[in-house]
Amino acid sequence: MLSDAMDRRLPWPTRIRMHVHLRMCQVCRRYQHQLSLLRDLLRRTPHSETEAAAPPPRLSAEAKARIRRALDPPHS
Amino acid sequence: MALDLTRESSTNMHEAGGSDAQRWIDEHGDYLYRFALVRVRDVSVAEDLVQETFLAALQGTRRESGPTAERRWMVGIIKHKVADYFRRIVREPLREGDPSDIPSIDDDFAADGHWKSEAGDGSGWPDNPDGLLERKQFWDVLALCLEKLPSRTAQVFTFREVDEMETDEICRLLHLSQTNLGVMLYRARKQLRTCLSVRYFGRTGEEAHP
Repeated sequence: MLSDAMDRRLPWPTRIRMHVHLRMCQVCRRYQHQLSLLRDLLRRTPHSETEAAAPPPRLSAEAKARIRRALDPPHS
Repeated sequence: MALDLTRESSTNMHEAGGSDAQRWIDEHGDYLYRFALVRVRDVSVAEDLVQETFLAALQGTRRESGPTAERRWMVGIIKHKVADYFRRIVREPLREGDPSDIPSIDDDFAADGHWKSEAGDGSGWPDNPDGLLERKQFWDVLALCLEKLPSRTAQVFTFREVDEMETDEICRLLHLSQTNLGVMLYRARKQLRTCLSVRYFGRTGEEAHP
C-alpha cells in the first residue's frame, strides 16, 4: 500500500487507515521513509555518475564494430 | 573518465567527422546501450538504437561543450529513439513478464499487515539524501542493485522512477494492467531497499545507528 501511494492518490478511507497505521508502526514508517529516499536519489542520479563502475551489460565487440562501420561516411 | 581537453572544443559535429565516431562508441556506447536495454529489453533493438543515436548525433550540432554536456545530449537523443521504438511496435503487444516477475506471496509482512522487523530492518539509512549524492560508492552499489532486478521489473521501475512516467502511460506503453504494474513496482522497491540495506547501509550506517 505504501508503494501504491507513491504512484496514485489512494481513496481517502484508505489514506486515513494508512496514516493511523503508520502512527503505530515504526518499522512501516521507516520503510516509507526509505522508499521516498530511494525515489529522491534516483531522480537526482547524474548521467555520468554511475559510469565509472561500468557495470555489465556492455556492447559486444561485434556490435561496436558494426556501429563503427555504420557511422563511417560511405566515401571514405 | 578523464577526457582530453582538446576534444571539448569541437562543438560542431560536421567538422568532427569520423574520429569522433570511435570516441563516442568508446565513451558513451556502453552507457547508451544500458540505457536502451533496460527499457526495451532486447539486445539487438538496444544495439540498433545506440547506432541510430550516434547517426543522429553525427548529423546534429551540439550546442554546449564538455563531456557531461555531450553525454546529456546523447541521452536526450536516445530517449526519443526509445519512445519512437515503442510507438512503432505499439500494434504488437509485448509478452507479459518473465516467470521471475510473477508476484509471489509476500512474507515480509506479518498477518496483521505490519512489516516484520526481521525482514531486513535497514536501520542504517540516513534521514536525507544529501550526503549520499556525493558518494561514488553509493551509486556503484545502486547500479549493482538495479542490475539484479528481473528485466521486466527493471524496465517498469526505470520508466516510473528514472523517467518519471505516470503509471497510465506505462500501462499503455507495455500493455499492462494497473494491478500488475503496481505489483511490479512494489517488488522493485522492496528488492532495491533490501539490496541497499544489505550492501550499502548495513556497512556504512553502523556508526550512526548501533
